[in-house]
Amino acid sequence: MSETALRPSAPAVTPPSTPGKRRRRSAYARRQGRAGLAFVTPFMIIFTLIMIAPLGYAVYQSLYTTKLIGGTSFSGFANYSTVLQSGDFWDGVIRVIIFGGIQIPVMLAIAFFFATIFDLGVARWGPLFRAVYFIPFAVPIVVSSVMWGFLLDPAYGPFNHLMNAIGFHNFNWLSGNLMIPSIIIIAIWEWTGYNCIILYTALKSVPRDVIEAAILDDTPLWRIIVRIKLPMVRPAIIMLVFINTIGAMQLFIEPTILNNYQAGVVTNTWTPVIDIYSTAISNGQYQLGAAMAVVLAVIIVAISVASLGFRGRRREQ
Amino acid sequence: MSAISMEKLSKVYSSGVSALAGLDLEVRDGEFVVLVGPSGCGKTTTLRMVAGLESITSGTVRLGDLVVNDVSPRQRDVAMVFQNYALYPHLTVAENIGFALINKKVPKPDRERRVRSAAAALGLMDLLGRKPGQLSGGQRQRVAMGRAIVREPSVFLMDEPLSNLDAKLRVRMRSEVLRVHKAIGAATLYVTHDQVEAMTMGDRVAVLHDGELQQYATPRELYDRPANLFVAEFIGSPEMNLYEATVTGDELLLGSQRLSLGPARTLLAPYRGRTVIAGIRPEHLELDGGAGAGHAGMATLVADVRVVEELGDEAHVFFSIDATAAGASMLAAAAGEAEAGLLAGATHNGIARTNSRSAVRRGQRVTFRVDTERIHFFDPDTSMAVPRMPR
Amino acid sequence: MSAAAMNSQTRRERRRRERLVERDAAIPVELYGLKRGTVTALTTCCVLFALFTLAPVVWVIINSTKTQSNIFGSFGFWFASPFEFFHTFANLFRDIDGDGTYANWFLNTVLYSLSGGIGATVLAVLGGYGFARFEFRGSKAFFAIIIAGLLVPITLVAVPLYLAYAKVHLINSVWGMILPSMVVPVGLYLMRTYVELSIPRELIDAARIDGASELRIFLRIALPLMVPGLMTVLLLSVAGTWNNYILPLIIFSNNQLFPVTVGMGLWSQHAGNSGDANLYPLLVLGGLVTIVPMIALFALLQRYWRGGLLLGSVAN
Ligand SMILES: Nc1ncnc2c1ncn2[C@@H]1O[C@H](COP(=O)(O)OP(=O)(O)OP(=O)(O)O)[C@@H](O)[C@H]1O
Ligand SMILES: [Mg+2]
Repeated sequence: MSETALRPSAPAVTPPSTPGKRRRRSAYARRQGRAGLAFVTPFMIIFTLIMIAPLGYAVYQSLYTTKLIGGTSFSGFANYSTVLQSGDFWDGVIRVIIFGGIQIPVMLAIAFFFATIFDLGVARWGPLFRAVYFIPFAVPIVVSSVMWGFLLDPAYGPFNHLMNAIGFHNFNWLSGNLMIPSIIIIAIWEWTGYNCIILYTALKSVPRDVIEAAILDDTPLWRIIVRIKLPMVRPAIIMLVFINTIGAMQLFIEPTILNNYQAGVVTNTWTPVIDIYSTAISNGQYQLGAAMAVVLAVIIVAISVASLGFRGRRREQ
Repeated sequence: MSAISMEKLSKVYSSGVSALAGLDLEVRDGEFVVLVGPSGCGKTTTLRMVAGLESITSGTVRLGDLVVNDVSPRQRDVAMVFQNYALYPHLTVAENIGFALINKKVPKPDRERRVRSAAAALGLMDLLGRKPGQLSGGQRQRVAMGRAIVREPSVFLMDEPLSNLDAKLRVRMRSEVLRVHKAIGAATLYVTHDQVEAMTMGDRVAVLHDGELQQYATPRELYDRPANLFVAEFIGSPEMNLYEATVTGDELLLGSQRLSLGPARTLLAPYRGRTVIAGIRPEHLELDGGAGAGHAGMATLVADVRVVEELGDEAHVFFSIDATAAGASMLAAAAGEAEAGLLAGATHNGIARTNSRSAVRRGQRVTFRVDTERIHFFDPDTSMAVPRMPR
Repeated sequence: MSAAAMNSQTRRERRRRERLVERDAAIPVELYGLKRGTVTALTTCCVLFALFTLAPVVWVIINSTKTQSNIFGSFGFWFASPFEFFHTFANLFRDIDGDGTYANWFLNTVLYSLSGGIGATVLAVLGGYGFARFEFRGSKAFFAIIIAGLLVPITLVAVPLYLAYAKVHLINSVWGMILPSMVVPVGLYLMRTYVELSIPRELIDAARIDGASELRIFLRIALPLMVPGLMTVLLLSVAGTWNNYILPLIIFSNNQLFPVTVGMGLWSQHAGNSGDANLYPLLVLGGLVTIVPMIALFALLQRYWRGGLLLGSVAN
């Protein structure tokens, strides 16, 4: 380090003949730059190894096809055209979009409702409820799917007894029609608390005097919530929509586990990720699976960018 | 009739902090009252209790004739300008100003008219479409004012509305606030910790210290007849010079110097042979041009000049006399300097405000003339002013 | 009075004081102008949702004491004899149907979570500090790439990782699980935001002027200030690995290496036709045992993560 510092470096004064060129950074700035690079290098190495390289490899693989006879050969966009023309794949995509399209708004509404209650302190025992609601976040999704599988079991589950008791006989929570609603309930159970805590923290950061000003202006509570609090926590809500959308698009564990309680509903193309898993891992069609994964990634990025664009537009107004 | 009156108002926070102890204060209709005091003395707390945002531990608050202790802030018809303005960041200036009117279900055309007239009064017409984030500090302050005046409230509360502005703007906004007050005519309780603001703006000024009212009077009265040592020191800049002094017959013994008391003699009769605290405002020390003694009440004081601060139009002469300083700040400064071991010659225990052309230099020995009628006397035990004769 | 008792008393006193300060800082409910009964109605809503939240947990606790036939045969929300808890618990230490031993999986989960979580935190803390307080060629571009990494579905990476692992013999290797667990772009993002909000540039510059080396500045000045954010990242990344299912499912074929999630997934698949093996009680109790440490961890560290979760939305 000290040696490099002593070595005569490039002239400190920029020749005036190159005015358009970027000024050379000072030795001090360069030394600091090196230190900064040292701090981020460990992350960057592993990130490259684990994220970027496999991504590149996936794209590369998706351009090849392995045949039983003839081995692996370059096939251009053949895999992609297979994916794009696969009705099953798109059914899966539409299924998770429907799932997310219902689950996310409903969950966010519930989470915002309770976060507001906790923030205002208008219910008793707020801190206790806050803690209770957060518990599911600590439960692995596999475990919660197993638990809910028991609860919703068509033959023995207590929720079925419940439906029997109120007059719905032969009710099956896990039947083809009700599988998505059931998974929506499970996902709401899993994620509401987490979303609620984040919204609660955001609401807490709304300055007290702004709300007091509204009170002095005789603003009714609902208007304080809808017209003042809600707009002021928009960034947090957007972040949550973002996170939840990415999660919903990758629906995998819940249907896979529930399938063990009610066989036959969840096919191996039921959601895109199930489809990718069974294609690439179970059936060994790596290249096709890779192409599916790339298409799914593009869809997710497109949805995210679209929501960001929406947000940007709103901001300009 | 009084617009606001507080009786024995006290506040103890649930964490145990006592912020206000038995405040009695009254604001008349149309009056502009300034609540002033050092940081943490309970000014904001008082304001918030009047607004109804803070519960009242004991005592009463009246608005008009009505005891409002249990009236919701929504029904009190008070408007408040918060220290940080508390604007709605996502709403435009026009929406901010009109927000309260929507709550009152004022019809839209009427609402727009009122918003525009408030905006016009405050010079905000060009900014109606902007959001608070795109405004300067002074503009935000005016929006906060606009939001308050558009409601035409019966009582105005303002919590240090100018403290976030730079010095120049602050001076300009002072007269603007007063102009708005004149136009509206609503009783106003205005909080500041800046005594200059208090003196220049208030019809009456209430000085608060540690949750207790020190004095409530007109600015002139506060200046001429401070009720106690705290007010004496707090009001006026530079601060009043305070010394321990002994009363001996017709004279006042200040260190080794004797000042003939003149008419103040009767006043100090009960203190004969005892120590009092004598306060002399810096502007009441006149450099003696050697013209000889004036009328009977004039006394002279010999001092060594330590530092001269030229301000252009006037000069502050930091001097030392051999009397013992009594003011809290002077004592603190003396202790600090002694600790820091500064040049012994630099220590001073008094300030005089003089004409800038008087060519006094450091190290010089000068004679000040002082009108003994203008010396303030305080009881060293109670800190209260020795009562003055009525004029 | 013993030291421990005194300690707990001062702690209780402190908590009481904190509550009072919090009460002073909150707007009194009366000011909202609520109708009579609103608080009761809203409390009822809270209770109902709490019941919904707790139902599965209560069910698991109750049914962890039952036999397989009682799990199905008796009322789900009440106990039934015989009390099988300890018997089932003992079975967690045995390989009962050839799928593997729960205790073994549990230890695997602990190993993966701790090493992955700690590794992720170290990388995120270093990287977050580097991106927040240094400028170097490409720093903006690198950071943008990492942010884009937030959008990449894990499956997209899992499939090619599997292929790559097959080439470099990382299938059925512990490292194949730990290394990916150390890449948590959200963690780095949180740390960068945290540093920007809580460590002023001037502080670091002052230390530089005093002649401290960058490493020393980081260790002695920045790191202590980063602890609350660091705890959030640690907790989130440990929980992330603890809950991970799809990656271990893909890369492990050796049951000995499974984490709890994959093991339980396997059991739930086999439970229906496991004959005498009685897997259902194991599934229930296994679920309970998996949950408890996480809940305890979140409860213990809550003063750290509560503020930290929101950081992601502050920066934009
Ligand atoms: N919410 C609160 N909880 C507990 N104590 C408080 C609270 N608000 C104010 N106090 C205390 O009450 C006292 C008076 O505070 P207040 O805010 O009224 O002072 P102030 O005169 O407005 O000061 P400043 O000029 O700094 O604004 C202070 O000692 C303060 O610490
Ligand atoms: Mg204040």
